[in-house]
Amino acid sequence: MAFFAGIDVGSVTTKVVITRDSELTAYHVVPSGANYKMAAQKAMEEVLAKAGLSLKDIACIVATGYGASNADFATLKVTDISCCAKGVNHLFPSVRTVIDVGGQASKAIRVNEEGRSTNFVVSERCAAGSGRFLQIIARVLQIELGDVGPLSLQAKKPVIYTTSCAVFGESEAISRIAEGTPKEDILAGVHNAMALKIYSLISGVGLEEECAIAGGGALDVGLIKRLEEKLGVHLLVPPQPQIMAALGAALMAEERSLALAS
Amino acid sequence: MAKGLDWAKRLYENRSQRAKELREEGKKVIGYICAFPPRELITAAGLVPYRITGTLEPIAEADAYLETLMCPYVRSCLDLGIKKQYDFVDGMIWPHTCDNIQKTFDIWKHYVPHSYFHYLDVPHMPDPSSFEFFAKELDVLKGSLEEFGGVKITEECLKEAIGVHNENRALLRQLTGLRKQAPPLISATEMTQVMMAAMSIPVYESNEMLKNIIEEVSTRKDGPQNKATRLLIYGCEIDDIAFINLVEECGANVVIDDLCMGTRDYWKDVVMEGDPLKNLAHRILGEIMCPRTFRRSRGTRQQDLDNRFSYIRDFAKEFNVNGAILYIIRYCDTFEFDAPEVRDYLEEAGIRVLHLEDDYSLTSIQGYKTRIQAFLEMIE
Repeated sequence: MAFFAGIDVGSVTTKVVITRDSELTAYHVVPSGANYKMAAQKAMEEVLAKAGLSLKDIACIVATGYGASNADFATLKVTDISCCAKGVNHLFPSVRTVIDVGGQASKAIRVNEEGRSTNFVVSERCAAGSGRFLQIIARVLQIELGDVGPLSLQAKKPVIYTTSCAVFGESEAISRIAEGTPKEDILAGVHNAMALKIYSLISGVGLEEECAIAGGGALDVGLIKRLEEKLGVHLLVPPQPQIMAALGAALMAEERSLALAS
Repeated sequence: MAKGLDWAKRLYENRSQRAKELREEGKKVIGYICAFPPRELITAAGLVPYRITGTLEPIAEADAYLETLMCPYVRSCLDLGIKKQYDFVDGMIWPHTCDNIQKTFDIWKHYVPHSYFHYLDVPHMPDPSSFEFFAKELDVLKGSLEEFGGVKITEECLKEAIGVHNENRALLRQLTGLRKQAPPLISATEMTQVMMAAMSIPVYESNEMLKNIIEEVSTRKDGPQNKATRLLIYGCEIDDIAFINLVEECGANVVIDDLCMGTRDYWKDVVMEGDPLKNLAHRILGEIMCPRTFRRSRGTRQQDLDNRFSYIRDFAKEFNVNGAILYIIRYCDTFEFDAPEVRDYLEEAGIRVLHLEDDYSLTSIQGYKTRIQAFLEMIE
């Protein structure tokens, strides 16, 4: 039985997944940095080492994500919208709405029972409601990205943000710091603003339960809490939300090989 | 001298070349914006009609005169005007089609010198009294062109001009017909170049070029490849190949459009029999399917929707498309208000729709690649 791989070259991290028989064999995440080609190469080499395999053991590789074209070893490219739908559907077959909070953009995707995307909305060409916003705010508040979620949960009085624009959001955060607002209240305010932005995205495709969240943003417990409040639904979170598109890509590689074989 | 598609491509890349040559020879060039001004009258006055367009390059000068929340297309046109790119144009005709165009006319007049200006008032409702008014407006335009051109536009010469422009539209429709087959004989990227070229030269030359192109593509072997998806593009002013080319590169055949510089401009002819001004008024106000013209609701909501949009659905059927892209220029309220209804109407007819809002710049267009690809993956 052959192995398959999916590689998702994102704007912040590069994720790679190896599957066999539609089951996860190994995965690996590396920072994309400023050279996506190197990141893709590195991610692939390291995941193969983890799995104890070599490139020739992989029957087919599908590349996806913002920098998919940098994975020149891939057999074909599929968009991260289709891949994310596929990956989430594999884990949660009953999910019909997927939220993907990536580094560069956020997306709301409708998924059918076959794991195909039937409609989608992407945040317009800016960082509003994306993971980049969280990175910027973490830097302004001088905290680790990993601490953003837990700190936000301790908020007593979330600030009201008038914008989900990352640039204005940054200056707004600085104004609040100047006023002496606690970090956790600023963070909860940011999460509320992002939740509102994502809510409006979802309104574009229609919220149908069940709903799952993927992408690096799904690692942020503060964002999940505010989103659940705003949407009024429970969000399913995969154990490794950031690798969903890579998983979907690997599954597509499998499907494609099967289709070619028959 | 280049022929056929090559001729069109060269003109597309250097749009003003022929108009400048003609001006050197003593001809006068009349610029016009939008699909509404009657080119027939310009031709009949012995003048050269030239469609004013913008550019996807960043706007440098116009932001000092117009708000950035105005139509980026009109802003770009004005930008070129202020940068003296339309120096070779002797006069300008601007219609009251949308508010952005109407208001910018006055600003243009103030800052960009031409020797002739005419503002064409176009009513917003295709009612009997509007047609009567508009035919009179066209008569005023006729008088002013006669004065500027130093000629008398007789009924006979106007009818002749209408005939030549009808032929131009018929040729464009014939060329569009060659996109029905799979694969289409001409790509949408090429079609855009042809359209832009056709609106940059006198109609007689345009007809010759189109005949040439029809002959060339009818027997070509190097036409577009057959793609899994056939698309319709709906929107307003697309005067650059960048967006359509991106869609085609993503793996689709764009086989039909409903655009201002596309079928909206040439799908209907002017009736030849009877009063030419009334007939012109009827074509422009009654038959150019632009949402700026308010087609009063009659009967049920479904009848209203059919009245406004069934022609798009018919295009989709006739050209056998599986999807449609609504490409709307940001702040174009006229089109933005209609877009959700167009989307629902087409989806109801079984046509998948991708709605994109663009700010009419090269950088934003590239950002649509993933969305277009995902849309194609969705409908393949």
